[in-house]
Amino acid sequence: MNTIAAMPGRRPITAYSGSVGTATYQRLMILALIFVAAVLLIILRLTSFALFEEQKSFRSLSTTYVPERGDIVDRRGVPLARTIAAYAIWMKPDDIRGDRKQLAADLERIFPDEPAGVFYAKLTAGKPTYLRRRALPREVSEVHALGEIGIEFPREPERLYPEYDLAAHVIGFTDMGGTGRMGMERVLESRLTDPAKRAQPVALSIDSRVQGALRNELSKAMASTHAIGAAGVVLDANTGEIVALSSLPSFNPNKLDAEGVRNQANGVTQSVYELGSTFKPITVAAALDAGTVRDLSRRYDATAPLKIAGFRIHDDHPMGRWINVPEALVNSSNIVTARIADDLGQERMEKMLRTLRFDQRPEIEIAEKGLPIWPRDWGRLTTMTVGYGHGIAVTPLHLATAYAALVNGGIYRPSTLLKVQPDQAPAGRRVFSAATSARMRQLLRMIVLDGTGRNADAEGYRIGGKTGSAEKPSAGGYSKSSLVSTFAAAFPMDNPKYVVVVTLDEPQGTAATSFQRTAGWVAAPIVKRLVPRIGPMLGVLPDTRRDVDVSELMPLLWRSGGGH
Amino acid sequence: MNARSNGIVPAPIAELPWKLMLLLFCLAGFGAVVLYSAAGGSLLPWAAPHLLRFTVALGLAIGISRFSPDFWKKMTFPIYGAVLAMLILVELLGQIGGGSQRWLNLGVITLQPSELMKPTIVLTVALFFDRLPASKLHTFDAIWPPLVLMGFPSALVLLQPDLGTTITIVAGGVVVAFMAGLPMRLFVGAGAALAVLAPLAFFFGLQPYQQRRVTTFMDPSADPLGAGYHVNQSAIAIGSGGLWGKGFLDGTQSHLNYLPEGHTDFVFATMAEEWGLVGGIAILIGFALLFSWGFRVALRSNTRYGKLVAAGLTTTIFFYVSINLMMVMGLAPVVGIPLPFLSHGGSSMLTIMICIGLIMSIDRKPGRRGGAFSS
Repeated sequence: MNTIAAMPGRRPITAYSGSVGTATYQRLMILALIFVAAVLLIILRLTSFALFEEQKSFRSLSTTYVPERGDIVDRRGVPLARTIAAYAIWMKPDDIRGDRKQLAADLERIFPDEPAGVFYAKLTAGKPTYLRRRALPREVSEVHALGEIGIEFPREPERLYPEYDLAAHVIGFTDMGGTGRMGMERVLESRLTDPAKRAQPVALSIDSRVQGALRNELSKAMASTHAIGAAGVVLDANTGEIVALSSLPSFNPNKLDAEGVRNQANGVTQSVYELGSTFKPITVAAALDAGTVRDLSRRYDATAPLKIAGFRIHDDHPMGRWINVPEALVNSSNIVTARIADDLGQERMEKMLRTLRFDQRPEIEIAEKGLPIWPRDWGRLTTMTVGYGHGIAVTPLHLATAYAALVNGGIYRPSTLLKVQPDQAPAGRRVFSAATSARMRQLLRMIVLDGTGRNADAEGYRIGGKTGSAEKPSAGGYSKSSLVSTFAAAFPMDNPKYVVVVTLDEPQGTAATSFQRTAGWVAAPIVKRLVPRIGPMLGVLPDTRRDVDVSELMPLLWRSGGGH
Repeated sequence: MNARSNGIVPAPIAELPWKLMLLLFCLAGFGAVVLYSAAGGSLLPWAAPHLLRFTVALGLAIGISRFSPDFWKKMTFPIYGAVLAMLILVELLGQIGGGSQRWLNLGVITLQPSELMKPTIVLTVALFFDRLPASKLHTFDAIWPPLVLMGFPSALVLLQPDLGTTITIVAGGVVVAFMAGLPMRLFVGAGAALAVLAPLAFFFGLQPYQQRRVTTFMDPSADPLGAGYHVNQSAIAIGSGGLWGKGFLDGTQSHLNYLPEGHTDFVFATMAEEWGLVGGIAILIGFALLFSWGFRVALRSNTRYGKLVAAGLTTTIFFYVSINLMMVMGLAPVVGIPLPFLSHGGSSMLTIMICIGLIMSIDRKPGRRGGAFSS
């Protein structure tokens, strides 16, 4: 121990002699420098992570799940279309270890709807393929339990329509590749797949509760009248939003089969019909606006069918007397409406219908839009028949937008399937004067109070509307047996908020409809049952103490005035 | 070196390197805190065993430090032979049992001989250069024996196959050779040769799964659900911690199991998510203090063997830390090396503490000044 203490004094510096010690010291320093460099590199990388990677973080599950394709919801946020991660079953033949024959038999046991032979063919075909395009979790775990490493279970985005066929024609569907092929899925394609926006669902104007009620009433009416189809739309009269749109028969967008493909035609926006007498209020409104009808009490001759250019215009319920304008609407007189249209003249009639865009496809986002059949040679007779809705074919949506303009104060607005914020409603353009619109509210209400629309009068809801029954054109003329029965309505008439148009395609007279098949018997009752269901949902409550004031016009009706 | 016993505390206890032990306690304690959080706020299954293992391993390290460097010098070749025999035994057992095996079950504990080889190779190569006369340093006699000494264990570990451990073993031996003063041109030349051979080895020497790990390291986002998954999730976890972290027990990446191996190899990402950049810097400071202690021991040591062993073992620990952190941050391929004192796992803890025990032994007996050729 003494030696150790004494040593430093005698040999002051140098560890061990020569270049070796110095070299070791140098090498140690080089190593230390490498250490420092590595630590600095790590700190640099760590700092860059902390400062720049933050935005990619998973904050929590609910706010960061971004679907492959955005959700579609109704105006209240109820999901109508979502994307989930579904299971597929994928097979890589090179990695298959087990006996293929046995494997095929096991797969058939799990999926009884597919024979073992089909599985065996896929397993021995030699190229990777789907064994099943979609499988339930239970099936996946059963296949997994087979322990075959050549079988994988990739998750794939799957479009799901939780409400099935409720609003199939509005939403449309996507193909196997996930691209929107119809309806709003097709319209919103780029918006739904935009990575920056797809986390936010798109809100449609549809209210799924109203949609459900409309669909339910239409299908009940379709069943009771043995009609081959039914269509209906509920339109916000002041914004153009379509609150419900249903076309029957419908299809299930989750699983499209051959029958579903046949039912894809949209009865509201695509099919064009001669909608008949529902045009009469439009003709009268045009005449009021143009000033060719100044006095509603003026009487027109309805004693005999009107002969013009070798064609006879006659009434379904001949009055056999001279009648005034309210009587003509209430009793749906073709003769008098034709005379009013004749007084209006071709130019103004045509202009009005063009202003309402009856010569173009309806204004709506979806691509499934029908082109109206516009009269080819427009003569005097055309003006008269178009006046009561014949010789021109439009979609029920055309009619609904026109009725909205009739009752809302005279403003035309394009219809939309996207939710409109309360203060963002389009300004629209004026097609009728406010005074004309006020008159039309009275007249439409009178048709329901005391006319062909009587069967639509739901107590307290102040419904106004017009019936229309037109014969369907068939080869070589009109078919007496097949009708299109329409009821176009609005409520409440003292302050119209919603327009409802329902159409039945080829209804049959049955015991339920007193063996009648005209609109007053088959279409009007749909509105009578529907409005009390949807009114409260839409903020319209029944009130028997309020109504549009029709007291000045009611005396003009023969029965009211001369009766009792 | 240490303060004299003041009479109350017995000398052997007062002489313990308390500063170093405090540092190790801090690192391992922080590791336990992170593991507690990774288990969802539970001592089991990771945090409590981690602390227990640390305590036992620290006792072992103190035990090792009680034996002098001279003792370890005498034991070096026997230990080398024993560990090499264990490696061969593992390989044979694996051949018999079918498939790869890295563990040797001794009944009470399972041993991983490849882990033990990491400090052993440092001791062995250091001893060789200690015995080598300075005049032979620039001859071929200074090159082939270390290559043989490293070659056998490396080949055996590579057979397992465990690329990460192989690299660590070779690197430990090479660093000791570098420290001993082999000509610089050898290392420069070897580095250049490696740069040429590495691509060849990549295409012809590696298994497809190993190749994927390397390509993934180049571009982790190319295969986000496959081989790049670890690195991507780890980058997200570290990044989401930001400057101050999400807070203790509030990490989502690890708790929702986005981050695989969040308690073993990728424990640093788990930590960084909850403690942020601040936590990461704290850990790096802790390791930096540990490395500088190791270097100071190497500098203070007056024997060649002591210098080489202290620097070599410090480098071994450094390899664990730097390769793990680089891997977690996407700067290096995923090779499966744990982070000392933080990762859950017994084998690496044992290796690290053996290294520390040996450095402590040199710290206690730095040798006589000027005793270059003593003993």
